[in-house]
Amino acid sequence: MVIPPLRRKVWRDIRRLWGQALAIALVLGAGVATMILGNGAYGALSDTRARYYADHRFADIFADLTRAPLGLLEDIATLDGVLQAEARIVKLARPEIPGLAEPAALLLVSLPESGGLNRLYLREGRLPAPDAANEALVSQDFARVHRLRSGARMTVVMNGKRQDLEITGIALSPEFIYALGPGEMMPDPRRFGVAWLSRPALQAAYDLDGAFSNVVLRLAPGTPPARVIQSLDRLTLPYGGGGATGRDEQTSHAFLDAELGQLRAMVRVLPPVFLLVAAMLVHMTLSRLIALEREQIGLLKALGYGPTRIAAHYLEFVLAIALAGVVAGLAAGTWLGAGLAQLYARFFSFPFLDFGRDPQVYGLAAIVALVAAAGGALQSLRAVIALPPAIAMAPPAPPDYRKTASVAERLLPLRQTGRMVLRHLLRWPLRSVTSIFGVAMAVAILVASLWSFGSIERMIHVTFGLAEGADARITFATATPAAAVLDLRHLPGVMAAEPFRVLPARLSHGTRSKRLAIEGRSPTARLSRLLSPALRPMPVPEHGLILSEALAAALGVGRGDRVEVAFLQGRRAVVDLPVSGISLGYVGLGAAMDLDTLNRANGEGDLVSGANVALDAAETDAFLAAADAAPAIGFVTLTDLTVARFRATLAENITLMITVYVGLAAIIAVGVVYSFFRVSLSEQGRDLASLRVLGFTRAEVARIVMAELAAIVLLAQPLGWLLGHLIGRAMVAAFSSDLYRVPFVMGREVYATASLTVIAAALVSALAIRGRIDRLDLIAVLKTRE
Amino acid sequence: MGIDVAGRGIAITATGLTKVYRNGPVEVHALRGVDFTALRGEFVVVLGPSGSGKSTFLNILGGIDSASAGSVLFNGQDITRLDETGLTRYRRDHVGFVFQFYNLVPSLTALENVALVTEISANPMRPDEALDLVGLTARRDHFPAQLSGGEQQRVAIARAIAKRPELLFCDEPTGALDSATGIMVLEALTEANRATGATTLVITHNAAIREIADRTLRFADGRIVEDTANPCRKRADQVSW
Ligand SMILES: Nc1ncnc2c1ncn2[C@@H]1O[C@H](COP(=O)(O)OP(=O)(O)OP(=O)(O)O)[C@@H](O)[C@H]1O
Ligand SMILES: [Mg+2]
Repeated sequence: MVIPPLRRKVWRDIRRLWGQALAIALVLGAGVATMILGNGAYGALSDTRARYYADHRFADIFADLTRAPLGLLEDIATLDGVLQAEARIVKLARPEIPGLAEPAALLLVSLPESGGLNRLYLREGRLPAPDAANEALVSQDFARVHRLRSGARMTVVMNGKRQDLEITGIALSPEFIYALGPGEMMPDPRRFGVAWLSRPALQAAYDLDGAFSNVVLRLAPGTPPARVIQSLDRLTLPYGGGGATGRDEQTSHAFLDAELGQLRAMVRVLPPVFLLVAAMLVHMTLSRLIALEREQIGLLKALGYGPTRIAAHYLEFVLAIALAGVVAGLAAGTWLGAGLAQLYARFFSFPFLDFGRDPQVYGLAAIVALVAAAGGALQSLRAVIALPPAIAMAPPAPPDYRKTASVAERLLPLRQTGRMVLRHLLRWPLRSVTSIFGVAMAVAILVASLWSFGSIERMIHVTFGLAEGADARITFATATPAAAVLDLRHLPGVMAAEPFRVLPARLSHGTRSKRLAIEGRSPTARLSRLLSPALRPMPVPEHGLILSEALAAALGVGRGDRVEVAFLQGRRAVVDLPVSGISLGYVGLGAAMDLDTLNRANGEGDLVSGANVALDAAETDAFLAAADAAPAIGFVTLTDLTVARFRATLAENITLMITVYVGLAAIIAVGVVYSFFRVSLSEQGRDLASLRVLGFTRAEVARIVMAELAAIVLLAQPLGWLLGHLIGRAMVAAFSSDLYRVPFVMGREVYATASLTVIAAALVSALAIRGRIDRLDLIAVLKTRE
Repeated sequence: MGIDVAGRGIAITATGLTKVYRNGPVEVHALRGVDFTALRGEFVVVLGPSGSGKSTFLNILGGIDSASAGSVLFNGQDITRLDETGLTRYRRDHVGFVFQFYNLVPSLTALENVALVTEISANPMRPDEALDLVGLTARRDHFPAQLSGGEQQRVAIARAIAKRPELLFCDEPTGALDSATGIMVLEALTEANRATGATTLVITHNAAIREIADRTLRFADGRIVEDTANPCRKRADQVSW
């Protein structure tokens, strides 16, 4: 087979211009990789979740109650729109694990009936026998961390009584894909797990014969959950129902939703940036190549090659490079995707998480990338087609610089070489501007990712440094008379204890409503404080509510507005309360009010849910041991542990994320700088060689090109900061959910780090190509016309 | 030694200058032992068939190419032994170049192209003075794209002499020009030679030009085969092409 000469020229051109080809391929590849990564992860996560939910009959509605007779289930199941209802027993217990000194919690859930809801995925072992009193399945992550295998035994304090359980197997549930322990901010499988026991076992342990404490429902497709929740709440009211929730308020589901939202935000921002920059590089490189090959193009036309044939040749050149980029991008995307899937596997417990090699995702990424590259080539190709052969064969007119003398020049005391730099930049304004934009995007990507460090530190500082002064938070197993707080003061190490009460309630304003736990606080509390957005402590008002910013925004209320508060426990009072203030809060939706006012409004008497305590650090172990032994205490959270876990988890994530982003930004910066440099050198190589002949040193000549690059890179910085700031703002909006609200902390050090990183990348690529200036052939340029 | 009959000092001396290009197994002997001495202020025309080594000779003398053997003495210094930095200094301080294709910087005006060089030399003339010498004061603010070939070449000459070089090397300065324009360029060159006293070597294919020179060299096959003095120089406008 004979390779057509033009085809051979494609390969030769690529080999000759391999640096520029590589730059284009890398940037395009990064675009493809981020597309694969984002779309792939989004698809994998949402598809896997959907399949898992469907296969395992994930419930649509969840409701906790104190105790209801099984007979009630009949009424619930016949509610309009309800396909299936299952009564369960769900209780929080305390595992006793040798070597685990910190407080831990184990959520006990009765096994779903055959054909029931939230069915388990059995990873290993077998189900507990239907009426076995001391057999359990445990959740996979908890089992893994504690090296529990089927057949192992574990002691659990259930309802104040120690019980020895045999682990018959390890399981996962669609209900606990993201398993967050009570009072925690981050999942910690060491200190929180789920165990499934037979109903009879839990009935016996919690005195719930013929009764249940939790119900889950599956709805007929298309049924609006809100209506069913209303009817369900009416039915469970007499039995201590705390208000049902839909999937959107179910912890595991909501966290996955938040993650999906972030992925979508990433897919919207990153790939387009890379594709745009790649198209720009294609344009830059190809238009220069075509300018250099005018005469060849004219010759080919004169020889009888059609204009489209010649254009096709250059398109082939571009597409060959793009294809290399696509292949690299697909490979990198797949590799990164596998890494991301592993990361997800650490946070989310799926029985399977296939980072699907969805051909659609791959195909789309490839096509979009090729289209972007071809788009970048469009203008140059049109020029090829339009070029008349006669004109093409004549040497090009020298570039006309008449119009470039600028105001800037008159203001700056420039030497002639400075004028060369300025005028060359202004002679090709589009190229200069797009290059500035390209470098600015590299800066922006960094700015938009680096701010999260400061943001997390701010969250930790505000939440745990300023607001939360307590060392531990004790939550009673059930609401308890206020006097119990006095007993807590006698526990070892406890120096102060301040009561709180949490009550589930639905807050409404107009058509908007949110279900959350209202916290009752003592007006004299000193340990744990509410903070205003200006970080000043806020006193607890006597009558009104203090809402967190997120809640106020969700309800669309401000100070002075009134909200309807429907308590979901006890008397189920519905009261109308004024909003007395808006507080700062990053985690969850928060509402606080005076403890006594809350108790009066709710009408169950003077009760508390627990206490915030100050501890003598030296006696923490003794305190925990004593708290473990106290039957009234449901669970204890230690502030230090929460902070440490929060920091560790985020640090790990963010380090990974920042590494990826720095890599991506460097690819853009290096790609743009290198391409710009090569094109600029190609255009000015002759002039620079002439300067060398005239007695300019290598350094002086290099400085001309470097100055041009420096102008591009420096001008890009403020633009990059601005773009990064805007992207960061958009990300904050995308990341903010009812679960989290991320503070936007954009400090000077973020800009500085981003700029220094990009400047370093530019410098590295500039140094790498500096040799080309040193090797300029002085004699060749004298022999030839351009 | 070092002083000729007319009492002028020696500007530059080449001894046994040899240049061999090796392209794989093929050896091209561009220069085969050239001996040459130029006096201060001398105007020398270099003739010879294509490929005879004229440009190679000039480039080595000008410090933009290296010799394979032999030496070039300038101010008591052998420039063939200079490193890159030394050569750059040599070109910067002592040598002016004019080329067939002008090699002006397209982004700079005529005046700025001259200023480019005056900014980096020790004892330059004012850029407009240099332009005046070549008769282009009126076009000082024009960019190369706005100038004719001859005008561009005169700017190149102005640029070459503005530093007051001791040596002025011109490789086919009229090669790309018609005769009328060529004459103007030659006038500019002789004027420059007169005004600055720079030793001037001009390569040309036009034998008629030798009439304006002090001396003519003829190259053939890498050697100087003829070296004739011209006792009565003509003015450029008296030369017919
Ligand atoms: N880079 C090179 N590699 C190999 N051979 C070269 C190179 N440069 C010049 N030559 C050869 O050296 C010889 C002398 O070349 P040179 O350019 O000095 O000739 P010239 O007299 O200036 O010719 P012309 O009048 O055509 O300009 C020629 O045979 C040429 O082919
Ligand atoms: Mg020559």
